[in-house]
Amino acid sequence: MAVEKPRAIIRRTLLTDNQVLRAILGICSSLAVTNTMKNSLVMGLGLSFVTGLSSLTLSALRSVIPHRVRMLVQTLVISAYVIFVDLLLKAYLPDISKQLGPYVGLIITNCIIMGRAEAYAQSNPPIPAMIDGLFAGLGYTGVLLIISLIREILGFGTVFGMKVAFEGFVPWTIMIMPPAAFFIIGSIIWAISARQAKQAAKQAR
Amino acid sequence: MAPNISPLIIFLASIITSNMILSNFLGMCSYLSVSGEYRTATGLGMAVTLVLVLTTAINWLVYQYVILPLELVYLQYIIFIMVIAALVQILEMGMDRFTPDLHAKLGIFLPLITVNCAILGVTLFMVIRSYNFVQSLLFGLGSGLGWWLAINMLAAIREKMAKVKLPPGIRGPALSFIITGIMAMAFVGFSGIFTIQ
Amino acid sequence: MKKGHVYTLLFMLLISAVLTFALAAAYEGFKPAIRKNAALQEQRAVLYALGLDTGLKDAEVEAFYKDSIREGELNGVPVLVYGQGGPQAYAVPFEGSALWGALRGYLGVSAPLDQITGVVFTYQNETPGLGGRINEEVYKEQFRGLPITPDTVLSYGEGLDAVTGATQTSAAVLRTLNKALRESIFPGEAK
Repeated sequence: MAVEKPRAIIRRTLLTDNQVLRAILGICSSLAVTNTMKNSLVMGLGLSFVTGLSSLTLSALRSVIPHRVRMLVQTLVISAYVIFVDLLLKAYLPDISKQLGPYVGLIITNCIIMGRAEAYAQSNPPIPAMIDGLFAGLGYTGVLLIISLIREILGFGTVFGMKVAFEGFVPWTIMIMPPAAFFIIGSIIWAISARQAKQAAKQAR
Repeated sequence: MAPNISPLIIFLASIITSNMILSNFLGMCSYLSVSGEYRTATGLGMAVTLVLVLTTAINWLVYQYVILPLELVYLQYIIFIMVIAALVQILEMGMDRFTPDLHAKLGIFLPLITVNCAILGVTLFMVIRSYNFVQSLLFGLGSGLGWWLAINMLAAIREKMAKVKLPPGIRGPALSFIITGIMAMAFVGFSGIFTIQ
Repeated sequence: MKKGHVYTLLFMLLISAVLTFALAAAYEGFKPAIRKNAALQEQRAVLYALGLDTGLKDAEVEAFYKDSIREGELNGVPVLVYGQGGPQAYAVPFEGSALWGALRGYLGVSAPLDQITGVVFTYQNETPGLGGRINEEVYKEQFRGLPITPDTVLSYGEGLDAVTGATQTSAAVLRTLNKALRESIFPGEAK
């Protein structure tokens, strides 16, 4: 089987089928932390780290993992990396670790990781699998950052905690509350699928 | 030390004011993908509620009597997820053997549940908030019912929307998200409906 | 390739053992840093409640804390006292229940017991983005400088706003703070 070139993997995971938007995977645990950009960034990087390394590990082990317990092994490996990230955050970024709270642990159930392990790492060599996982995670980070950029600017008038709003700006409190996250991600998906529908129609003609 | 909060309040709050989906964003994957049809949504809601109650009970016992005495707190994620996976597996086999009717109805949903963030989420929240056994059990039950309520509402609305003419591109997940946003906004209005103490 | 039960079992045992061992090693490696952070956060919280958190670097916090804060007592309640010579302010620990779980922190009061120097929460588990926002500066800073008397009962309204969408958590915070005022700072006074 032909092995994809790293550049092709990166382009595919970041641009053509960005994991969150295309497959609507992995929305779960992370929307809650998108009310500030800093939390989104740390969460996204943590997730990319876990996706990359677990894809690498699972791909390296792919010929020795018994098929029957595949899912169990995947979960074990992913949990181990998540625990490692959790310890890392507790040791070096205690403030953020506290704010993210249980949501770090919930990276385990993030569908992206399992999705990459099942769809790619299982049938590809370790290095491409790692690149695939890492960039799937980074694409996801990008989406989280876009959502949190909108929420933070409108909700607090800040970007990464720095004030950008003009004097007299009244923060939109709703932006920091859960409903806004749903509206924003809904609108982003809407915009993208509307564009794709238009392109498809153009090609059909 | 368990916080001094009435289990009943935890139960109500986890259904209404802090719904797993509408304010904690947990369990979104299956919520979005299995909400196309009201009947299947009901089945999944039931299965999630059942598994939530059982896993909170078992994970509570495991935490108190295995993890804490052996000082394995740093391994808790791995232990909890394994308990959940094992429980779901056993439940599926047990159902298949003893209640084939129920298995036919709920069985197909069980594999989806292991990776449902709401299940692990409830366990982690319960541990972090150091609830006692009764509080945990009602928190699990309430969260399950709240999740069930949310998916049923979305499924009902989506069934109605199926016949409506909509702008291009909105049909599918985008619409589900926007509907959920409106529901979440309505649910914010519930906060303050009951008082503690 | 078909693999037997024995192989599956051995594989699971081996991988579990390897992962557990690796994580145990990682945990031992990180433990000192995690411990140090926990202590540092507690010290920063106390300084914040006392109104002394003026952008100190991590390394300076410990020294400053050692020099200026000592353990003391206020009406028989163990508190942390700031001030060389006479006390200038007290950080009074409080504990209560919020909407979801326990709530712990420090309530800082000036030594003449006439105003609040700050409020800080060291432990809370409210919903992130809703009740969890009691940890934000906007909310906590409101308490700084509020005048208090033995009859003070804090309530939302003029100059003190609850967190939007988190009515229950906000109410629980005031309930806990009022209890601390009543029991730790002005005990035995007529109410």
